[in-house]
Amino acid sequence: MNGLRTRRSLVDMIEIEHLTKRYGKKTAVDDLTFTVKPGVVTGFLGPNGAGKSTTMRAIVGLDAPTQGLARVNGKHYSEFRSPLTEVGALLEAKSVHAGRSAYKHLLALARTHGIPKTRVQEVIDLVGLHEVAGKRVGGFSLGMGQRLGIAVALLGDPAVLILDEPVNGLDPDGVKWIRLLLKGLAAEGRTVFLSSHLMSELAQTAEHLVVIGQGRLLADTTVEDFIAGDGKSRVRVVSPDAARLAEHLAGPGISIASPEKGVLEVSGTEAAVVGQAAAAHGLVLHELRTENGSLEDAFMQLTADAVEYRQTTEGANR
Amino acid sequence: MTAAVMTDRPAAYAPAGNYKLSAAGLLRSEWTKLWSLRSTWIVLLCAVVFAAGLGALISGTVPSDMEELSGAGMAIDFSMSGVALSSIFIAVLGILVITGEYSTGSIRSTISAAPKRLGVLWAKAAVFGAVVAALFAVMVFATFFLSQALLEGTGMGGVSLSDDGVLRALLGYVAMIVYLALLAIALGAILRNSAGSIGFYIGVIMILPQLATLLPWEWVSDVTPYAPGDVPMTTTLVDTANGTLGLGESWLWMGIWLVVFYGLAAVLLKRRDV
Ligand SMILES: Nc1ncnc2c1ncn2[C@@H]1O[C@H](COP(=O)(O)OP(=O)(O)OP(=O)(O)O)[C@@H](O)[C@H]1O
Ligand SMILES: [Mg+2]
Repeated sequence: MNGLRTRRSLVDMIEIEHLTKRYGKKTAVDDLTFTVKPGVVTGFLGPNGAGKSTTMRAIVGLDAPTQGLARVNGKHYSEFRSPLTEVGALLEAKSVHAGRSAYKHLLALARTHGIPKTRVQEVIDLVGLHEVAGKRVGGFSLGMGQRLGIAVALLGDPAVLILDEPVNGLDPDGVKWIRLLLKGLAAEGRTVFLSSHLMSELAQTAEHLVVIGQGRLLADTTVEDFIAGDGKSRVRVVSPDAARLAEHLAGPGISIASPEKGVLEVSGTEAAVVGQAAAAHGLVLHELRTENGSLEDAFMQLTADAVEYRQTTEGANR
Repeated sequence: MTAAVMTDRPAAYAPAGNYKLSAAGLLRSEWTKLWSLRSTWIVLLCAVVFAAGLGALISGTVPSDMEELSGAGMAIDFSMSGVALSSIFIAVLGILVITGEYSTGSIRSTISAAPKRLGVLWAKAAVFGAVVAALFAVMVFATFFLSQALLEGTGMGGVSLSDDGVLRALLGYVAMIVYLALLAIALGAILRNSAGSIGFYIGVIMILPQLATLLPWEWVSDVTPYAPGDVPMTTTLVDTANGTLGLGESWLWMGIWLVVFYGLAAVLLKRRDV
């Protein structure tokens, strides 16, 4: 019965291999390697300018990699005989002529593949644009434009969905709707790959996470492991004898950072162990505290060195 | 736990699979795109009104006692005097057909649907070329008959399609405007910017060759007939002996320039990021 459905094996649907993209001297993506699997929603996380959009453009063949390659289901995107039914993409900016109506935009794309008008109407209804489908896109709000982009991505009923910041500009109802939609599509066995620069957003939608910063891979893990792993608790110690204490604590599986003089952040152990070590060697402690990292912290921590544009509040306070 | 999740994962989704990207699909898509923009209707209307209106106006105001204005060649020059202006509208529209996609970002949708890219260029050229050919085939002949009716009684009246060279010259006008329309599409594809392409078309293709003839060097006036905007000239003449190029040369050079422009446009379209 589901012979058609199982025609494809459980391969990695999106494969990025040593992908590098340079724009002049600027390296937007730097030797990136990861895969995205079907059946789950995979989040693509990274701060502004990390290279998420660039990677996604490379997958759909809009930008040619400087080195390496991006493949979908074993093929380069341009090799597909029906690209719209293989991959549906929502790319960052509005990719629509402002003078054309939403309906005609979808119809023009549908016609390239012989997709019938009924399917165009279907996706218009699905994203809730039926009332404005005949209006020029130039007058659309951000959220309406985003819905049209989602309709375009779904037009060919594709096996792989690539969505660049799909919740941008959506109202809370819209955000909830797209979360359910994407989970549903993944549950049907599709590959769903969506980017965001908000960890909190992805935590509610994605099961798997690919995190990048400054074009480089920082983590490729499940959301669960990401939280448990990098967001795990650590022990903060303030001590005048910090340096000596660090020597006594050092050991396999334990990492010690010293954000400032006299302060240690120890992970891989517990507060009790640190306290005992201090007592055993007669070292003075001023503070001993367990800190639990939030998701956002975990992301911040992971990308702290990899943030491209860090704002400063100093000027504003003057 | 993890193992259970793994086996529960459904088989990869396979799309229905009866849709396919095709050349016919690309043509239909470009047809839909062309007519779904208001600017297409406005610009084509302007082109028609100027071509017919100017031809009629000029033909209708010829005094009957000016004997030096006579003959089929002169009659066609008069009736087609609006076509030159029309060709600017057509060229601008041709440029916008492609640069409009870049300025609005719709090129990303277009190329995602046709990632081999070149089919889009050919489809745009074919659809726009066909529309311009059909429109101007009607326009040119309608204007000719209209102006002949108005020129009745002057030295330029009484010209018929069966007169030597008349039909060929009128078809030459259609060919010229289609050629310029195709050139405009390729130019838009090369420069990708509306203002830049329109400026280049008017400045370099239309005006520069005329200005260049004022230069003191002889070789300049030897080469200007071969400029891309000037090569169709001979095809529009009733007496081709008056042309700077022979009739065959004129066709040959139109072909050469189209190959050059489309070759460059195709290479750049393939190589550049969208
Ligand atoms: N066409 C381009 N030309 C030059 N530089 C570019 C181009 N596209 C991207 N970049 C640069 O590459 C880097 C990565 O950009 P990209 O848009 O991929 O980041 P992003 O992760 O999508 O960021 P955001 O969260 O802000 O959308 C940025 O520094 C950007 O300035
Ligand atoms: Mg981006």
